[in-house]
Amino acid sequence: MAKTASATLARQGTSRWPPAALERPDILGPILVSPAILYIVLLVGYPFLLAVYLSLSDASVATTGLGKFVGFDNFVSLFQSPQFLIALRNTLMFTAVSAVFKGLLGTTLAFLLAENLPGTRVFRFIILLPWTIPIVLSSITWKWMFDTQFSLINWVAHAVGLLRPGYNPNWLGDPVLAIISIIAVNVWRGFPFAAVILLAGMTSVSSEVLDSAKVDGAGPVTRFRKIIVPMIAPVLFVGSLYDLVFTLNDMTIVYLLTRGGPGDITQVLASYAFLVGVQSGALGRGAAIALLLLPILLVVVFFALRTLRRRDI
Amino acid sequence: MATVTIDRPVSRPSRGRLLRKRAPVYAGLTFYAILAGLPVYWMIITTFKPDQDLYNLKSFPLFFNEHGITLDHLRLLFFRTSFGTWAWNTAVVSFWVVLITLVLSIPAGYALARLRFRGAESLTIGIFMTYLVPTTLLFLPLVKVISFLGLFDKVQALILAYPTFTIPFCTWLMAGFFKTIPFEIEEAAMMDGCSRLGAVVRVILPLSVAGMLTVAIFAFTLSMQDFVYSLTFVSSSNEKVINIGVVTELIRGDVFFWGSLMAGALIAGVPVAILYSFFLDYFIRGITAGAVK
Repeated sequence: MAKTASATLARQGTSRWPPAALERPDILGPILVSPAILYIVLLVGYPFLLAVYLSLSDASVATTGLGKFVGFDNFVSLFQSPQFLIALRNTLMFTAVSAVFKGLLGTTLAFLLAENLPGTRVFRFIILLPWTIPIVLSSITWKWMFDTQFSLINWVAHAVGLLRPGYNPNWLGDPVLAIISIIAVNVWRGFPFAAVILLAGMTSVSSEVLDSAKVDGAGPVTRFRKIIVPMIAPVLFVGSLYDLVFTLNDMTIVYLLTRGGPGDITQVLASYAFLVGVQSGALGRGAAIALLLLPILLVVVFFALRTLRRRDI
Repeated sequence: MATVTIDRPVSRPSRGRLLRKRAPVYAGLTFYAILAGLPVYWMIITTFKPDQDLYNLKSFPLFFNEHGITLDHLRLLFFRTSFGTWAWNTAVVSFWVVLITLVLSIPAGYALARLRFRGAESLTIGIFMTYLVPTTLLFLPLVKVISFLGLFDKVQALILAYPTFTIPFCTWLMAGFFKTIPFEIEEAAMMDGCSRLGAVVRVILPLSVAGMLTVAIFAFTLSMQDFVYSLTFVSSSNEKVINIGVVTELIRGDVFFWGSLMAGALIAGVPVAILYSFFLDYFIRGITAGAVK
């Protein structure tokens, strides 16, 4: 009571702006949030609904309107198209396989960084480069490293004896090698992030708990499995979620390395949606391809929601 | 003399043990550093290596060869492409994206962190979820929105599009920052006669300069990570931003100007990498904010 009285008094003394209503959280709150929300509703919410409509239409880039409503035609024809099925398979496969390798490389690296020896900061900067350099620029560099004639990869592999003399694999031209190359670049891009996320979690585990476990006779593997993993699980979860969404959506690596080739064998949903929607101009069909990412993402989001609900906001 | 002989047996085994313990760690870190750094090293070498050596299978690729170092690739990049224009466009886009992001996400972050109102919790989660709505879902319908606004093939299209991912992330980040400021500081200011808004402007904002700087940096670095929007919305050379300009304009048909391509990648990429590295801890804290209490 006294507080409000003195506040009112002081305000009368100075000026009438801002009005008293702005003192109330239930009024000021929505006012402060609304510009951001408006932006998101107009440029994320509306386009999202538009995507749903477009996917049910025959809209094209060329026409100004929104096309004719065609029901589920786009979806039906997609599931009959081998290219689409390959893109769907690749999206899932690239994401899953690279996640495994990112996890393995990231975990080892996290332990090395956790030692915190002199010079770790320099190492950290260099090791983080794949994550910090814009993906567009690193992808084009990898294209050059996989060059058919002057491949640095081949040169290094020959130098250390990994390839037999005279054999120069065409990394991006051979279907299987192209898939391996794309996954490799994916892993290269993501492992530093996996390591840093793990490290962030590990430093939050108190050393006292670990020490007492040590005293009780828990070996390093047990300590990792029974103490570290459960304690950092939430951080790990959000980190993998972020990486998962990123990898599922990324078309940069595929587009710049192979353009989805040879013969659409390395296409992912994102790059295929771009090919169909923008390059071929079939906006409706492209939107349908992109939208089919949604069920996959919804599963991810469901788990995200469950984790977020648990936190105290 | 005597002290040395006494010291040796004491310090030597411990130094040896230290070395034995540290050597594998350094070996491991070196392995990772080579794995991570090789492409960037290759960018540097390619940028300065003359074509005669670059496209010669007999020359040792990992360092400079008989023709030494050249600036030709940089010259081509600066004087025979629109590199300057792309850099300028990038600066313009980044300026506006950072400004829009700051203006919208600071108040939103404050409200979500501090003010209890109906739906605040759902909004917080909703905003985080927006960040998970992928560009892949949005770039096609945004083509329509942007054409409708008459911004197709203009840098303004990117100024409009990038905040769709910077606002959610930065609001989330700002909310985290505001939560670390003790409530009492604000209360004290209000007791002294400040209105709530006055307390925010005079007390809270000056305390959040670090947070705002971080948000600005991320609005910039996240924009620099984009590929799909700039590839889709902009096709004229004069409207391109730096990344897309480098990877699309230095390829003529089947010919890749690798020297200049790598020069462009180096100039555009390394500053971003350095900035990002400096602020990475905040980035990690930002995305894991929900997970650790």
